[in-house]
Amino acid sequence: MYIGILGAWIAVFLTLSILSYLYEGNVFYKFAEHIFVGVSAAHWATIAFWNQVQPNLFGRLWPQAEVASLDGFQKFWYGIYHGLHVIFGKIFPEATFNGVLYRGIGDQPQNLSYLIAFVLGIFMLFRLIPKIGWLSRWSLAYVIGMAAGLRLYGYMSSDVIGQIHASMLPLWTGNIGSSINNIILIVGVLTGLFYFFFSVEHKGALKVVSRIGIYFLMVYFGASFGFAVMGRISLLIGRFNDLILYSGKEYGFATPILLVIMVVVLILTTRKGKSEEV
Amino acid sequence: MAKSKFGEKFISFLEKLDSLDRRIIFLIIGLVVLIPLLVPLGLPIETTQLTEDAFYAIDALPQDAVVLLSFEYGPSTKPEIHPMAISVLRHLFSKGNKVIVMCLWPDGLFMANEALDLVARQEFGLEYGVDYVNLGYRPGNEAIIKGITKSFEANFSIDSKGVSISNIPIMNDIQTARDVDFIFSLSAGYPGAIEWVLYAGDPLQIPVSSGNTSIQVNQLLPYVKSGQMKGIIAGMPGAAEYETMVIRKIENNIGTITDRARELLPNFKERRNATKFMDAQSIAHLVIVLFIVLGNISFFVKRRKQRKY
Repeated sequence: MYIGILGAWIAVFLTLSILSYLYEGNVFYKFAEHIFVGVSAAHWATIAFWNQVQPNLFGRLWPQAEVASLDGFQKFWYGIYHGLHVIFGKIFPEATFNGVLYRGIGDQPQNLSYLIAFVLGIFMLFRLIPKIGWLSRWSLAYVIGMAAGLRLYGYMSSDVIGQIHASMLPLWTGNIGSSINNIILIVGVLTGLFYFFFSVEHKGALKVVSRIGIYFLMVYFGASFGFAVMGRISLLIGRFNDLILYSGKEYGFATPILLVIMVVVLILTTRKGKSEEV
Repeated sequence: MAKSKFGEKFISFLEKLDSLDRRIIFLIIGLVVLIPLLVPLGLPIETTQLTEDAFYAIDALPQDAVVLLSFEYGPSTKPEIHPMAISVLRHLFSKGNKVIVMCLWPDGLFMANEALDLVARQEFGLEYGVDYVNLGYRPGNEAIIKGITKSFEANFSIDSKGVSISNIPIMNDIQTARDVDFIFSLSAGYPGAIEWVLYAGDPLQIPVSSGNTSIQVNQLLPYVKSGQMKGIIAGMPGAAEYETMVIRKIENNIGTITDRARELLPNFKERRNATKFMDAQSIAHLVIVLFIVLGNISFFVKRRKQRKY
C-alpha cells in the first residue's frame, strides 16, 4: 500500500521534472535526467547479467554436477568453479540436496566452446586498462564481423530482393483503382531512385524526373512528420493519464501537491536568477 | 470599415504568431490533451485496412496454433503499445491459442509480466507453462532471433522465472521458431518488427505481424505492401481499432470464442485502454493542423509584406 503511494509520488515527481524542461532548463529536469541515465544503465546491465551471462554462459561452462562424481579434468574444472563460488557466492552457487553436494548452474549440457565467448567478453573489459586495451579490438572485430555478416544476408534477401520483387507490378490490373496505385508506386520508386543518382547532371528532362522524385520524398517526409506528431501526442496522453490517476486521495494528492511545489520553486529560482543578473 | 479593421487586426495577429513564445504553444497542446481526458467526448472509432489485415491474420489461426509474442518496448512507449499487447493477448486467449512470450528489450520483460498478469492470470485464469510462458529477456538483438530459428534452448535455457525450458510443457513441441505458427512483434524500434521479418519471417516463411509506434509506420509499410508482414497495428489509433474489433468479434459471436471470453466481454468493454485516449489524440491533431495552417498563412502574409516594401 505505502510502496504503491511512494511509487506514485516518485513517478509524478519525475514526470513533472522532465516536463518542466518545456518551461526552461532547471534543477528538477537535470536531476530527473541524471537519474534516468543511471537507472537505465544499471537496469540493463543487471537484467543482461542475470538473464544471459549467468545462466547461458556460466551455466554452459559449469552445468550443475554432483561433486562426488567428478574426476580428472572435470574435478579441476569444477575446482575453479568452487574458487569463484568462494568469491562470488551468489553468481556461482553451490547446493546440497539430500546430503549430496552439487556445483554448477542449471541443467544445460556442458559446452566448453563458450570459453571463447567468455574470453572475448573479458577482453572487452580490458578497455579499462590502457596497457592491454588493444585486446578489446579482437572482441570488437568478432562483434562487427558477426553483425555485418548477419545483417548483409538479412538486408539482401528481405530488403533488396524482397522489395524489388514487390515493386515489379503490372501497370494494368483490370481495375482502375489498383492500376493507378501501381503506376504511382512504380513512378515513385523510379523517380526517387533517380533523385539519388548523381553520376549525371540533373538537367532538362532529367531535372523534371528528379523533381518528381523530390515530391515523392516530400510526401514521405510529411507522412513521417505526421506519424511522429501522433506518437508524441500518444506519449503525452500516457503521462497525463498517470498524472490524473495519481492526483486522487488514494495517492495522497501527489500530482497537485508536487505541481504546486515545483511551480513555486521554479518561480522563486527564476526571480532570484533575474535579480542576480541585475 | 469594421471589416477592414478586423482584417488588419487579423494580419497583425498572424505576424505576431511568428514570434510567439513556444511555451504558449506547449500550454495550449497540454490543455487540449488534458481536457478530453477529463471530459471524454466518445468519438467513434473506424477500423482501417492495416489493422484489419493484422486482426484477420491472427483470427484465421486454428485453435491449436502457437503464437510467438515478442515485447520490444518499454515504459517510454507504453501508452501506444501496451494497449495493443493487452488486446492481442485477449484476442489470442479468447480463441484458445497458446502464447510464447519473449523480450528483446530489457524493459520488455516488465511490460510482458504486467500484460500477462492482467490478461492470462487475472482475466482468463490460464495456467503458466501450459497455456503461456514468458521466456524473458535476452540481449543480442537480431542474433537472438537468428538463434531461435535454430534452437530455443540454446538461447533461452531458462524462462523468466528461472525454470529450465525443458521442464515447461508448452515448450515440449517447440524446438525452434519454425515450430510456431505466427510471430507478433510489439515493437518500438530496434530490435523490433523489421528484424523479425528479416531473420525469422522471410527465411522460415512464418507469418509476421506487428503492433508498433506511430513513428515506425512509414518504415514498415513497404513490408506490408510486399506481403512480408500481415498488416500492422499502427500507434494508439491502431490499438483503439484492434480493441474495437476484438470486442465486436466476441459480441457478434464470430469464429472461435471460448466461454471464458464471452464472460469477460463486459470487462473488455469497460477497460478499453486505447479507445479512451482517442478523443484527446483527435482533438490534439486538429489543433496541430490549425497551428500548421496558421503558421503557413503567417509566413505568406509576412513574405507578401516584405515584397511590398
